[in-house]
Amino acid sequence: MAARVIIPAETQPALPVEQLIRSEPPQDETIEMDAVFVGGGPAGLAGAIELSLLVRRDNEAGDGIGDVEIGVLEKAATLGEHSLSGALVNPRAFRALFPDLDDSDFPFRSPVAKDSVYILSQRRAHRIPVPPTMHNKGNFVASICEIVRWLGEQAEALGVNVFAGFPAASLLAQGNRVIGVRTEPTGLGRDGEPQANYMPAADIVAKVTALAEGTRGSLAQAYYQWQNIGSVDPQTFALGVKELWETKTPLDRVVHTMGWPLPRDAFGGSWMYPMEANLLSFGLVVGLDYHDATLDVHELLQRLKLHPLFRRFLEGGELVEWGAKTIPEGGYHALPERRHGDGIVILGDAAGFVDVPSLKGIHYAMQSGILAAQAIYRALKAGDTSASQLAEYDRLVNESYIVGDLHRTRNIRPAFKSGFYIGGLKAGLMSLTGGRFPGRRIPMDADAAAPKRVGSSTPFSADGKLTISKLDAVFKSGNATRDDIPTHLIAKHGIDRETADMYAHLCPAGVYEWADGELRINAPNCVDCKATDVLGPRWTPREGGSGPTYQKM
Amino acid sequence: MKIAVCVKRVPDSEARIKIGADGKGIDESGIKFILNPYDEYAVEQALKLKEAAGDGEVVVVSLGTAAVQETIRAALAMGVDRGILLETDAQPLDPLGAAQALAAELRDGGFDLILCGKVAIDDYAHATGTMVAELLGIPSVSAITHLQLADGQGTAEREIEGGVEVVEFTLPAVLTAEKGLNEPRYPALKGIMMAKKKPLDVKPVELDPGGIEVLDLVLPPARQEGRIVGEGADAVPALVEALQSEAKVL
Repeated sequence: MAARVIIPAETQPALPVEQLIRSEPPQDETIEMDAVFVGGGPAGLAGAIELSLLVRRDNEAGDGIGDVEIGVLEKAATLGEHSLSGALVNPRAFRALFPDLDDSDFPFRSPVAKDSVYILSQRRAHRIPVPPTMHNKGNFVASICEIVRWLGEQAEALGVNVFAGFPAASLLAQGNRVIGVRTEPTGLGRDGEPQANYMPAADIVAKVTALAEGTRGSLAQAYYQWQNIGSVDPQTFALGVKELWETKTPLDRVVHTMGWPLPRDAFGGSWMYPMEANLLSFGLVVGLDYHDATLDVHELLQRLKLHPLFRRFLEGGELVEWGAKTIPEGGYHALPERRHGDGIVILGDAAGFVDVPSLKGIHYAMQSGILAAQAIYRALKAGDTSASQLAEYDRLVNESYIVGDLHRTRNIRPAFKSGFYIGGLKAGLMSLTGGRFPGRRIPMDADAAAPKRVGSSTPFSADGKLTISKLDAVFKSGNATRDDIPTHLIAKHGIDRETADMYAHLCPAGVYEWADGELRINAPNCVDCKATDVLGPRWTPREGGSGPTYQKM
Repeated sequence: MKIAVCVKRVPDSEARIKIGADGKGIDESGIKFILNPYDEYAVEQALKLKEAAGDGEVVVVSLGTAAVQETIRAALAMGVDRGILLETDAQPLDPLGAAQALAAELRDGGFDLILCGKVAIDDYAHATGTMVAELLGIPSVSAITHLQLADGQGTAEREIEGGVEVVEFTLPAVLTAEKGLNEPRYPALKGIMMAKKKPLDVKPVELDPGGIEVLDLVLPPARQEGRIVGEGADAVPALVEALQSEAKVL
């Protein structure tokens, strides 16, 4: 068979909207909240913290609305265990949320001392001037796991109910209004039958539901689809694979690279950040609009470690943690036309608040949480949480630096659609003109619509020390999901071998394989990165506490 | 029925343990702490007994730093009625000191039953529960996998080498829980909300310094890598040779 191409969209199952949005009345016994944040990441926790601060401020001034019950649902067993980022953090949103604290009080590792950017070939590293969007002076190296745990402590101290280990399985709807969420039950056997420690789903009824599920959130996707909320361009994603290394050689700067080992028609790059003298954050991000069906981000990251630039730091060190996550990369033109509705607001990565050229999302996520809290508080105070009141959230976001920053870099990521070098040139011009070049929008397709060439790949075998297999990787993610959990990944029936192979390469955790003439899904391996949800089998919520247990990612 | 459960905060069994700078303890940074899994069986059993009786009270008692409050809240979220933290400056090392402090707290509490995990997965001492019984002068049955109570009498089963030992005892007694006793429940959302409002008494205690001093703490040596001697039937002689002369297990 010559030069076959796969269009991933053709074998992608539809989003199970009827499962993700339930219009039946809530169960008899419900938990009532004023506001529930779905997702205990930077967006949801910043929102919960700001909302409790606003409530407290007015109550103390004698002008308040009394006690307000705020909940945060998190699918990981403990806050932070599903959070993964580089991360270089702009402290702006921390300062806004905690005006009385100093930068040294925040859960950062160290200030960025120096930036270096390289273009790699297989053996060489050519240092280039740091692109204007990639200067990190004033930013901090941090672990998002640590950030999230710290924010969780602040939230709990303010009286927020943090429910870790409780994924939201569906939105509860009444007409067009979102009235809360239903959690995922726990303790089901392989075929969905309750076991000895079964715990049924619980319904949380809330005046406002704030979706802060993170990248490729299922409920947010379902809500956009249900309400026909479009965007100028479809949202696009990249997959990042990250490793944490204890090393002997200290690194004195943050490093970013482009070029090898990525094919020229793929968009992405690597990073290496010093977290402490002997702890390195290292990873690779590749846009999911890649063109080669055998492209494998985990494997590319393993090859990258053999490059002298990285090898001299990593060799002889010890891999401590491994993880993977997708990143919404669509930017300004992929923002949903509204991020609010009756009883609902959508924050952070779930709304697409990521700026790819500066590689930042955490402070946008937190700021969107802060602005959502302000809108929610006003709505609660007015006793009206309808779409017209919550539209205040979108207005605040549109006027904020979130949309301002994303607007300025609106065409940079799309420019790389045409390849790395032309893309680099265009991106440079865009930065110089404050986003005005080329004076028009470069339209983007959904990742699943980009054709992928079927070809052969050079097999890579990991040495188990410097480079690791996907199975070892899953172990290093701390994933100890029980084997008899019902599968949460939905694939189409009759997937052919080439498509199955594409899934196998795409998934960094070895979930998919071609075995006995069919696609086999090893669902417990899944680390919730959501990559195949973008290009293939759908991800749905599963029992709380499943998946990775990241500690310092 | 009034039941006390002694619980301990321990590092997660999945945690990657590093030795601290002083070489005498573990480096706690970045380590997740959990309710000792064997104590979870004890909590579950107490809740089951209370539910079966239709009334009563379950109290958890723990010993350690302020951080232990989180562990007690986890038990409260499962359904325990109230918690007591015997607060110390540091996690006690000597089981006897811990047992003395727990016994002093439990002595006049009017408890019908005291449950503990059979062992804490951090120091594996297997000591505290039975020491508490001895200090209180009441019966003790360790590592139980089955329990029945009626009219102030109890029958417990212990798994022993090649069989099951059945032990009868009178209440009050101290029992320590073995895996298999039950399947601990997950805390429910309502349970977590209610846990925040349940009473948790913090009582500072002074521990007897005890007779144990840690001189040195070291990680076990890294396991040697496996070796593939060959494939198929042809490899059998090489395997037998390796098992005899290298591994010395044949």
